[in-house]
Amino acid sequence: MKSDKLIVLATLVLAALYWFATEQINEPLIGDPIGPKAIPRLLIIGLVIAAALLWLETLASRKTRAAAMAADNPQPVRRPFFILALLGGTLAYFFLFSWLGYAIATALYLYALMAIFNPGETWANALTSIGFSFGSYLAFTRLFGAQIPAGLLPF
Amino acid sequence: METFNHIVNGLGVALMPINLWYTFVGVLIGTIVGILPGIGPSASIALLIPVTYGMDPASGLIMMAGVYYGTKYGGSTTAILIRTPGEAASVMTSIDGYEMARKGRAGAALAISAIGSFIAGTLGVVALTLFAVPLASTALKFGPAEYFTLMLFALTAVASLSGKSPAKGLLSTILGLMIATIGIDLQSGQQRFTAGIAEFQDGIGFIVVVVGMFALAEVFRGLEKIHSGTSDPAMRITGKLWITREEWRRSKGPIWRGSIMGFLIGILPGAGGTIASLLSYSTEKRLSKNPEEFGKGAIEGVAGPEAANNSDTAGAMVPLLTLGVPGGGATAVMMGAFIMHGVQPGPLLFQNRPDLVWGLINSMYIGNVMLLILNLPLIGIFVRLLYIPSGILYPLIIAISVLGTFAINGSMVELYLVLFFGVLGYIFDKVEIPIPPLVLSLVLAGIMEQSFRQALTLSDGNPVVFVSSGISATLVFMSAVSLALPFLIPRLKQVKPEQD
Repeated sequence: MKSDKLIVLATLVLAALYWFATEQINEPLIGDPIGPKAIPRLLIIGLVIAAALLWLETLASRKTRAAAMAADNPQPVRRPFFILALLGGTLAYFFLFSWLGYAIATALYLYALMAIFNPGETWANALTSIGFSFGSYLAFTRLFGAQIPAGLLPF
Repeated sequence: METFNHIVNGLGVALMPINLWYTFVGVLIGTIVGILPGIGPSASIALLIPVTYGMDPASGLIMMAGVYYGTKYGGSTTAILIRTPGEAASVMTSIDGYEMARKGRAGAALAISAIGSFIAGTLGVVALTLFAVPLASTALKFGPAEYFTLMLFALTAVASLSGKSPAKGLLSTILGLMIATIGIDLQSGQQRFTAGIAEFQDGIGFIVVVVGMFALAEVFRGLEKIHSGTSDPAMRITGKLWITREEWRRSKGPIWRGSIMGFLIGILPGAGGTIASLLSYSTEKRLSKNPEEFGKGAIEGVAGPEAANNSDTAGAMVPLLTLGVPGGGATAVMMGAFIMHGVQPGPLLFQNRPDLVWGLINSMYIGNVMLLILNLPLIGIFVRLLYIPSGILYPLIIAISVLGTFAINGSMVELYLVLFFGVLGYIFDKVEIPIPPLVLSLVLAGIMEQSFRQALTLSDGNPVVFVSSGISATLVFMSAVSLALPFLIPRLKQVKPEQD
């Protein structure tokens, strides 16, 4: 399976990077006999073993390739641009979080998402977005004493 | 006698008005979460942890446990009415439950599901009460080597049994352990993999990973599903919300068998409610005089699996409370919740905090009664939740995730990390890498590394310490077997037909 081969490759790359980072850890002269590098080194071995086993699984599945073709990547990423847009929108929300404050940024973000995924319900979407954002802001700041950015809000 | 006194005192804790309230809130949220497809118990417990921060630990944990077993009740409702399990363990209920609903017996299917869940849930808690102390007393004899090998076994079992590919389960486990190595090493004081980012010195927060990988990733998948227009219409509740004498006669056996099977499977690491309900379904089909009715609306196919997946939750609490070793994703999140409240699950918990642990266990009896009331006469109200548009629900879950994560430390870095883990969880789902092994290893990694290093320090670096006692040698053997079996079984199956 194509995705499994990519996972094997990604795992080996990760193992190499992790090994490089492990070697940068300072080893204290005194302390326990194992040291801070021991577990990371064992994990590198574990990563390589996992990659090898996955490779073997991929080879074994070749025999049933015809069946596998039908089942290959059973949950494909249906819309890669969709998830990227969602990611971009959420990042923009985080950028606005400190500047506009939690309540305003969240209300805008929620309304935008609801307008896309629950179209045609303008009033319900607007009331839910504003009600939830300001309600949760007041609940967390007043009831739980949490420090949430007020941003443009005076309270 | 001392244990009896602790149980009675625990009942007092569970019956305190504030704890009765939090039990109710927990099981109510659990029922709602169970009914809403997409959001599982792990995500909902994770989202609740920040909310319970200021609470008394007993109240907070009672509430989160309520969510955990409450989801099992609610999960059957969607399985029966829209053939979509509200949580994974209800998958078998959707087969015959939905067929019963199509034949106008939705009321009976919901009723037997609630009654079976109640009986099994209560029996499970009775067994938990009986098993807890003897097991905790045995675990007190464990040294660092035994603890390390016990956790090794839990990890290998979960890695092998989660998902279709044991190699991917192993990969997920190792990734969880790798994430846990980020931060200052407690024994040497050295920084590991912090990349100069101050927020990483205390390690990657457990909440950040769990909220991202369970809650946010589920929302991404849900929104994608709405975008591609694949949703099922909900069936109306039809027929009386009760069962006939004949249906009860047919359901009694499956409920008893399912309860016992579910509890025993719950104790084993990695197996979980889905396997329990699957085994119960296949057992009932095999024992039935009319196996051809299965898949066409057999009430035994609802009663047995529902009982199994409910008593599984009590079984899963046994290793968590007595050994401090969770056996799956949801109990791993529960363990994270314990630790965040400053409570370390394990054998010492029964000595140091008997009020808390027995208060929690006794609250489960009360919670099961509350759930029966919520899921029988009041089910009509909860079913309306199915009509809330997902396009409103999923964005709200993102906002709750953001607010809950930010409220803990006020860190923007953690918000970006939640998003990172959300995307990672979404990718894991697409390439079929199971998430529970990662979460479990993340929770256990700290204690596991500490036990590993303590054992080697005590033995002057001699690794034989891990096989020197009977318990640790057995656990190492079981770990090796649990890792090897998933690879060997398909080979053996291939060899057998060739010999035939």
